[in-house]
Amino acid sequence: MSTTESQAPAAARPVSGVTLAEVEQFLYAEAALLDDWRLEEWVELFTLDCTYEIPATDVPDSDPGLTWSLIHDRRTMLEQRIIRLKKPEAHAEFPHSQTSRIIGNVRLTDRLEQSLLVEANFLVSRMKAGKFDQYAGRHYYELVPAAEGFLIRRKKSVLAHDRLDPQGKISFVL
Amino acid sequence: MPQPYVIDKREESLFQVDREVFTSQEIFEKERELIFADAWLYVGHESELPKKNDFRTRDVGGRSIIFNRDRHGDVRVLLNTCLHRGASVCRHPKGNQKIFTCFYHGWAYRNSGELVNVPAGEDYANAPADVYGGLRSPRVENYRGFYFCNFSDSAPDLRTWLGPSAYLFDLATDQSEDGVEVLEGTHNYTLNANWKLLVENSIDGYHAKSVHHTYFEMMMELGQTPPMLGEGTVNGVPPVGLGTEFGNGNVTLIYPGNGLPLATEQVAHNLAELRGKAVERHGEEYASAVFNLARNSVFFPNFFLIDLNFGMIIRTIMPLGPDRTQATSWHVAPRGLSQESLQYRIDNALTFWGPAGLATPDDVEALEQAQRGFSARREVPLSDISKGIGKPRPAANDELQMRAWWRQWNYVMTGEQLPAEVEAFTPFTTREPSRKPQEA
Repeated sequence: MSTTESQAPAAARPVSGVTLAEVEQFLYAEAALLDDWRLEEWVELFTLDCTYEIPATDVPDSDPGLTWSLIHDRRTMLEQRIIRLKKPEAHAEFPHSQTSRIIGNVRLTDRLEQSLLVEANFLVSRMKAGKFDQYAGRHYYELVPAAEGFLIRRKKSVLAHDRLDPQGKISFVL
Repeated sequence: MPQPYVIDKREESLFQVDREVFTSQEIFEKERELIFADAWLYVGHESELPKKNDFRTRDVGGRSIIFNRDRHGDVRVLLNTCLHRGASVCRHPKGNQKIFTCFYHGWAYRNSGELVNVPAGEDYANAPADVYGGLRSPRVENYRGFYFCNFSDSAPDLRTWLGPSAYLFDLATDQSEDGVEVLEGTHNYTLNANWKLLVENSIDGYHAKSVHHTYFEMMMELGQTPPMLGEGTVNGVPPVGLGTEFGNGNVTLIYPGNGLPLATEQVAHNLAELRGKAVERHGEEYASAVFNLARNSVFFPNFFLIDLNFGMIIRTIMPLGPDRTQATSWHVAPRGLSQESLQYRIDNALTFWGPAGLATPDDVEALEQAQRGFSARREVPLSDISKGIGKPRPAANDELQMRAWWRQWNYVMTGEQLPAEVEAFTPFTTREPSRKPQEA
């Protein structure tokens, strides 16, 4: 990963004081932003040195730097993804899908010096043009405590699917 | 049933396809029998089986197969069905195994196919190994490490079938003196549209501006020139590119490769270094065909090689039903890249391709909308594929490449041989570039 010291924000408050309830509230709020298609606000939750990853369904544990994954965005591409998704010419998502996210089984798995590692299961239900899909899996986060809430340095969403069938595509943000 | 399926009126410069071929169950079944039983079908790449006894299970041409390297190191394709009562003898997507055992009654086969153990075999009057031999194999051949199989004994050999289109594999493989490798990670997704719509779309330069407008805007925002909008001619290929055909329904569209979105200086330097080595090995003209041209190719019926010098993917497309299709795709990279260059290629390719990319979902949307439109096929029976017909050198955003594919499809389905439109184009003068001999 090509992060520089200057890009990586220091935690605005100590990692040790963070509670699980606080992490859960943050993840729920993130899910609400996505369900409401408030993507410009959502992308601001990420640090400048962030990565947003979805591994291929047949190699969920792989390093997206070395394998053909589904998404491996750094900040610039994440912003471009959002800009594109808000245009009517993003044909697969116009009109936008309706989604409902359930975030559960939230666990704070490690406290690093400046950040926290968090895992949570997700179930995203999606309705578009009479077709109903669900996406299930687990999010892996690295969160940096900010003055209010957190910043996301890494979000990796591992699908519990062995192929994209029947969903076919991930045309919105999981 | 529509007759003809394909209307090819040269004198009127019209080419049309009956929309029934996208919706009919009868045609879907006929395709299974005629198109997929008698063609060279892509199975996998040698780099996916690095060690003896490595295997991958796949579906090829509607059959469940094992693509493996046996204990002697020979690459094989075994039909994944027990000779006894039919169950799969291997249920894992990949692994390393010397013996495949059917879990139903325990019949066991060596990874070269021989039946070596039958539980309670003494109860058989005739030893099953003597009666049945071993797991069945189709014909298997490779070109430059890309393995294909064929379920027909009468088809020509792979190299003959590829004909001059084989150079497209050469250009892809000669990016590095060590050849290419298929990376781990598979894009495996379905769509609710006929498989031939995705075939068309994969070699369709015409839709790029309308469907992928948002992608091109992104490229330009990042300071890059989108493909086919540049100004330079490379090896006789104009900025708008051109489409060409090679016989047997193998076709390509070829265009100058513009822009390296997201590339760092180091990545550009590494690419220049690779190019420099190719110039040493093959000369400037061939190297510029390798590195300065981009190609979207289809090898009839369903193998796609999309080779841009900053990212290469291969794709197979299988029909699951008249309006249901499975697409599988992998990323191919030159061997021996620095980690930074490899990551760049992957990330760059991912921005466009794949079911979570910034382009593929919009393609799928277009195809699913077309499939919906075919509900009015009685009232609007024909699709038009005439763009650029009659031009001696059609552009990449013309539709020659689809017409050539459709003519082969029509030939296999009906026996009617329609004449080709243009002479095959090769963007370098030497047809057989010097290269390291491939595997023995």
